[in-house]
Amino acid sequence: MGGYQTDFARNWARENKHIAAMMREAYQGSIESTKLDAGDIKAAFIGNFAGELYCTQGHLGAFFVDFDPRFVGLPTMRFEAACASGAIASLSAMAHIQAGIHDLVCVIGVELMKTVDSAKGGDFLGTAAWYEKECVGIEFPFPKLFGRLGDEYDKRYGLDNKYLARIAEINYSNAKHNPNAQTRDWFMNLEHACVTGKYNSVISGRIKVTDCSQITDGAVCLYLASETYAAKYAKQRGLALKDIPCILGWGHTTAPMEFARKIADSADGEYVLPMTRKAITDAYQRAGIKDCWELDAIETHDCFTTSEYMAIDHFGLTRPGRSWEAIENGVIEINGKLPINASGGLIGCGHPVGATGVRQLLDAYKQVAGTAGDYQVPNAKRVATLNIGGSATTNVSFIVGVGING
Amino acid sequence: MIETIRTVAVLGASGTVGSLSGGLMAQNGLKVYFLSRTQQGSERGLQKAISQARSEMIARNVICGDYEYLLKEAVAEADWVVEAIAEDIGIKQRMHEQVEAYKRPQTIVSSTTSSLPLSALVQGRSAGFKKNFLSTHFYNPPGRMSACEVTGIEETDPAVIDFMRGFLTNRLCRVVIPVKNIPAFAGNRIGFVLFGRITLLAREFGVEMMDYLIGPYTGRLMAPLATLDLVGLDIHKAIINSLDEHTNDAMHSWLAMPGYINTMIQRNLLGRKTGGGFYKKLESGKYVFLDPVSCDYIPAIEPHVAFVEKAKHFIRMGMYKEAFEVILSAQGREAEVVKDILCAYVAYSYSLVGEVTDSRAGIQGIDDVMSYGFNWAAPSVIVEVLGGANAAAQLLGKKGFEVPPALKAGLKSHFSVINSGKYFVAK
Repeated sequence: MGGYQTDFARNWARENKHIAAMMREAYQGSIESTKLDAGDIKAAFIGNFAGELYCTQGHLGAFFVDFDPRFVGLPTMRFEAACASGAIASLSAMAHIQAGIHDLVCVIGVELMKTVDSAKGGDFLGTAAWYEKECVGIEFPFPKLFGRLGDEYDKRYGLDNKYLARIAEINYSNAKHNPNAQTRDWFMNLEHACVTGKYNSVISGRIKVTDCSQITDGAVCLYLASETYAAKYAKQRGLALKDIPCILGWGHTTAPMEFARKIADSADGEYVLPMTRKAITDAYQRAGIKDCWELDAIETHDCFTTSEYMAIDHFGLTRPGRSWEAIENGVIEINGKLPINASGGLIGCGHPVGATGVRQLLDAYKQVAGTAGDYQVPNAKRVATLNIGGSATTNVSFIVGVGING
Repeated sequence: MIETIRTVAVLGASGTVGSLSGGLMAQNGLKVYFLSRTQQGSERGLQKAISQARSEMIARNVICGDYEYLLKEAVAEADWVVEAIAEDIGIKQRMHEQVEAYKRPQTIVSSTTSSLPLSALVQGRSAGFKKNFLSTHFYNPPGRMSACEVTGIEETDPAVIDFMRGFLTNRLCRVVIPVKNIPAFAGNRIGFVLFGRITLLAREFGVEMMDYLIGPYTGRLMAPLATLDLVGLDIHKAIINSLDEHTNDAMHSWLAMPGYINTMIQRNLLGRKTGGGFYKKLESGKYVFLDPVSCDYIPAIEPHVAFVEKAKHFIRMGMYKEAFEVILSAQGREAEVVKDILCAYVAYSYSLVGEVTDSRAGIQGIDDVMSYGFNWAAPSVIVEVLGGANAAAQLLGKKGFEVPPALKAGLKSHFSVINSGKYFVAK
């Protein structure tokens, strides 16, 4: 039913704001933009990774009841699955609708991260992996893990880093058209992304600064509704139900926590991360589509350039190991055959961890509703998302479409 | 008229405005000549631009040089010459004379000044030069402040202004504010009148208390006297003097320069650039504050006023309207000062609709420049948190301000409390 994203370029910690202020702004913005009656909201689902670590605050669902006197007494709950926290909150909200428990629910993804320096923040993020095995004593564990993903591609299929640089360049370029993107005013070109230097240092192995999404502060609020509610909403506004975007399909898988085990388990397969592939194909199956070419755009989880490189072949844009073809042929560009991350993705738009999955779902909504503004993919009718938590441990894919409902 | 801009010559590229605006052009793929009196100065400017872009790659688009050896070649090649040299009419006039000698007829020339009368800068120049001359007033640092005020002189070809508005918006990602050709334009006119009032009040309340009362929680990223330390007291005085000379309105009396500011300037207490102004950072990391009476530094008093602390708490929780309800219901001289400054900001901003910006733009242009140029909550947003146009008008009347017709008309812009939360800082 639409929603609202805060400006991911903001530093809420510098504004000395409480994490509940971000939730409140996202909520207020969402009511203003959707014109929904707040009295119709029956539950709130909050996606958040590590409020306890970054701002010493848990139990975030409880803050929701402060936003409107009518909310006192509503059921609220908070969900955590590392970087996929937002998608998991959305999935659970969807399940409550499907079970017939509620007709209209609110989903908020939120993360306040700039409260700590990068070393401390990197250590906190390590709790999204198997901390004792993969993170103790390691500075910035996640760039190392996703560097190893690139190494695995290189070992199995070959990988030229220039394609990773191009992924970064495309995401930054798309973000320039997104008024809520963290990097919209940042300088980037292919040469900068290719070269190592003072302003593009190596974080680990093949991962340089420009290969990384940047953590930030942000919140996103959206609404999911039952068909009954959507029909009523459409009628009141003179719309056809088929014009209301809906979730056509979803996939949700969990792989073993440890990255080395994931890689060992896939050694004999075509796909480097088969559980990620399965989440995507499950979503295709539930949406009744046979492959990616029935999509008009993808919002994927490019926490690093290597994860987008992985997503390209896992979504099926190319045969396994040949993601470079879709980059070289311009397929994933904003005017390409199947644009990836028109919003700028995590690299361009920013990555407030618990908010990202909700942001992707809202961007998919905006694309099919035709309200994405300057980053609109023309005539987008079906858009897929992929939100991953940890080293592709939790995998969630949604397919959002319009013009399909009765 | 030229059809596109590929090459720019920035004159005064050793300075902050020249180097950082030039850097912005290089970031966006233009070929840029960085020119100043010395090669070394231009190269220092390039380093500032690299630091702003956080990439050495922009250097590939930049050619550094000095006026003696490179001015003729650079200006002859340039589609756009940006003059950002010292704020001195005579120096600028001589530079424009040289530029005219070298430039191609269609080349656009702009000055980045906002405080000097534009027509005086091009005295003696040809009709052709004047037709292609305008002001492009970038706010600093352009990497973080996207406002750019644009205006021309009487002889400027309107098509040149239209072209530059489009170019600055689309190519350099500026928020362009078309303004009338009156020195200080829109942003500095409003901002520095407020600063003038605050420096007067600081005599009574002290520096630390004044910045505490009119602090970031009232809708600005930085407290006002701390901002003046960043700007520099010499620049502040120049702008106040220019406003005093070239404007005359209901707030004119606020432009009086309190004596202690002149003493600060005489003692070279200009702000951050001289190691101290209103604030001075000690080696221990602690701050001492200027006493406007003695002009000596005094230890921090760490103010604590109940209504301010309560308002800050609401700001911290994202409850902006509730915070302003606290301010409005508070009593006492400190509360009255806060209300006075909020009212002055609203009254003055709305009164200038049509005078500094085109009346057809409503409050939008002024909202834009205060948000994107000063990092202050837009006047229309302050009206909203005060309870809307009627409530704000009543408050203005109670505080003795004339209610501008534009406020009575309820003019709004695309800013609202929802999208302006970042300007309300819980400090």
